Amino acid sequence: MSNKPVFYTVSELSARGMDNIPSEMISNTHLIYSSPAALAFNSPGAEGFGVKRAGLAIPDSVMLIVAPGCCGRNTSLISSMPQYRNRFFYLMMDETDIVTGRHLKKIPKAVEEVCSSLEKKPSVVMICITCVDALLGTDMERVCRKAEERVNLPVRPCYMYALTREGRKPPMVHVRQSLYSLLKPSRKKGNVVNLLGFFAHLEDDCELYDLLHSIGVKTIHELSRCRDYEEYLTMSQANFNLVLHPEARFAASDFEKRLNIPSIELTRLYQIDKIQNQYRALCSALGVSWDDTKYREEAENAVRSFYEKHGSLTFAVGECMNGDAFELSLALLRYGFQVSEIYGTITAENFIYLKKIAELSGNTRVYSNLEPTMLYYDCSETTADVTIGKDAGYYHAGCPNLPWNRDIQPYGYKGLTQLFRELEEVLS
Amino acid sequence: MKGLRKYLTPFAPDQSGAVSVLYELGGILIICDAGGCAGNICGFDEPRWTDHASAIFSAGLRDMDAIMGRDDRLVEKLADATSKLEANFAAVIGTPVPSVIATDYHGLKRMAERKVKMPILTVDTTGMELYDRGAEKAYEELFRRFTEETLPVEKGRIGVLGVNPLDLSDRKAGEKLVEILKKEGWNQVDCYGMGAGLDRIAAASAAEKNLVVSPSGLKTAQYLQKKFGTPFEVRNPLAAEDCRKWAEAGIDFSGKRILVVGQQVSAETIRQVLEKLGSGLVTTATWFMKKEELSREGDIRLLEEDQFEELMRQGHFDMIIGDSDLWPMVPDTVETVDMPQFSISGKLADGKYAVRPTAEGTRR
Repeated sequence: MSNKPVFYTVSELSARGMDNIPSEMISNTHLIYSSPAALAFNSPGAEGFGVKRAGLAIPDSVMLIVAPGCCGRNTSLISSMPQYRNRFFYLMMDETDIVTGRHLKKIPKAVEEVCSSLEKKPSVVMICITCVDALLGTDMERVCRKAEERVNLPVRPCYMYALTREGRKPPMVHVRQSLYSLLKPSRKKGNVVNLLGFFAHLEDDCELYDLLHSIGVKTIHELSRCRDYEEYLTMSQANFNLVLHPEARFAASDFEKRLNIPSIELTRLYQIDKIQNQYRALCSALGVSWDDTKYREEAENAVRSFYEKHGSLTFAVGECMNGDAFELSLALLRYGFQVSEIYGTITAENFIYLKKIAELSGNTRVYSNLEPTMLYYDCSETTADVTIGKDAGYYHAGCPNLPWNRDIQPYGYKGLTQLFRELEEVLS
Repeated sequence: MKGLRKYLTPFAPDQSGAVSVLYELGGILIICDAGGCAGNICGFDEPRWTDHASAIFSAGLRDMDAIMGRDDRLVEKLADATSKLEANFAAVIGTPVPSVIATDYHGLKRMAERKVKMPILTVDTTGMELYDRGAEKAYEELFRRFTEETLPVEKGRIGVLGVNPLDLSDRKAGEKLVEILKKEGWNQVDCYGMGAGLDRIAAASAAEKNLVVSPSGLKTAQYLQKKFGTPFEVRNPLAAEDCRKWAEAGIDFSGKRILVVGQQVSAETIRQVLEKLGSGLVTTATWFMKKEELSREGDIRLLEEDQFEELMRQGHFDMIIGDSDLWPMVPDTVETVDMPQFSISGKLADGKYAVRPTAEGTRR
């Protein structure tokens, strides 16, 4: 027993290839270590947006959580946030409910009682169900229809099935579909665009708004910027969707099938040249052109001036932040910094970054937050001057840390500019 | 409506209670879940989790594990972890998923003990019962497994059962109890699970007496009495101290009809102090276990929000002592004394107690 955390260098991982990832880096082959660094994995609702918070993204909606008590326990954390007060309700299941399925008959009445207890009628009632109903094979669509008849309001299911998190359609994919399922076909407007993917909006100064306006787009919809239910419904007028998070792909596909609204997917990147290339590709797909020089130069200046002051810094980068740990690490390396450690989950999509990191910094260590030996992680064995991500901050407790995990989303050149601005603040 | 919650969030579940008992004992704790339950326990119900790392894991069950009942995969994962981690036992703690698929915990234990060379505990919690039931099961499993030898009784040694953050809402409960009990004349105080580890549990038969500070410890105290003849007493010295502090802070209980809502041993201890302070009729109520042997006539077991609202409508009380999460259901005309209950609101007691004045402005 070595009492050491397992890690692999980027070179080792790159040499092994995507088809030969070590078992320590594959979460379903071992117990999942539960540390503060891994909380966002085990309980997405405890930090940021999990199914419960995400399910309430529609303005004026409320949620009835139909589940054993344990599934709703940490909701009191969310309920204490002002915007969620009086929006969560619970119908507790017991063992008899599981055996007989009688809880399903109680749902319409519970929805009615919840609605009648509220001063203002909700726009939608989301019914959140959990692993238990996944195993029981509950047809929640049917139950929701029954409840709709009773309260004359839209009632939609929301599946918090942790058991399916590594399946084809994990809960956070499903919830995005649920949220847009109330939209009805309507007349399209050529100058309306939806941004899909996040539950909070992009930073107000993100260049994407200006660039879209510069090509004639008048209205840019984001779910979290909808002031009321009526505005939410106008998302069906969009000419096209920009998909900013891969977990919104299924929702985008629904848009295409049901509402005839096509989509283009963009990736959040921190490498300036890749951001530029992606915008060029978008313009080409749309048959337009825009001038992003101003924003690119601002980002380049932010990187340059930070490098001039702190060029010798070594970073440790975690995955609990707004970005891909491997892509951000690659960006930092390409800007001339060092990256000693990455805490991340290797996927087919980010393996390409890992291979490029191997060319620049083969000895960079990769750890999995979820692996049991992370219990023994000791930061004195490596060097890091600054950390990015909440998990990296946990491991290097005494080191300056930028959590970079706010709800409001950084994106594009402005996201990169903001990153370096905040790093400067952390170090000063 | 039965089961419907409009004001209160769900209380700490049985699986959290089990973890709370085992947390400090140096074992590998495996929450037999898909991930969410482990996140709830660690991220919400276990206040010690942020202070120091502990070997607590999710089994990471996936849909096909549940459908196919692949216990062997869990045992493989456990064996892998035991080969890498130092631990003196491993415990598998149940959640709704194994409950629905009717996991055979005895079979799982046998299978695991054949594969790994360390004691295996299983706690058949379901996520549908409350924390105290899980804590009770964990205490029983622990003492039945590790307290085997009958040792000579050591004069002045007391064992304390039912000490955990969920029952006592205080991360320092163990230390505080040691201090109080030493002042009472005990030279060796073992707060099992909060200060006293597995070695003390193994030697629990040497205690002169056991003290039960919450209902979750009662069954085990009865077991230890039956097996080793250790007598036990039921009271919570921390609750008595709190109550005396409220009086010192100027809260007037005299002649008042008071409802104390808390875990049963704390509520009963507070009642006894209040009666000495000259209160009117004191009734206790609990959302958790109500042991008949610890009850007086008229004590209440709360099950539903509706029931509590009805109790408030009846207007039999001048003052309520309980967790502030209950206040939205308490009429303005009733005085309230905030006694945080971690298992209800997730709030820890910090030694300060807020008194809400009544609508008439009469604080006392």
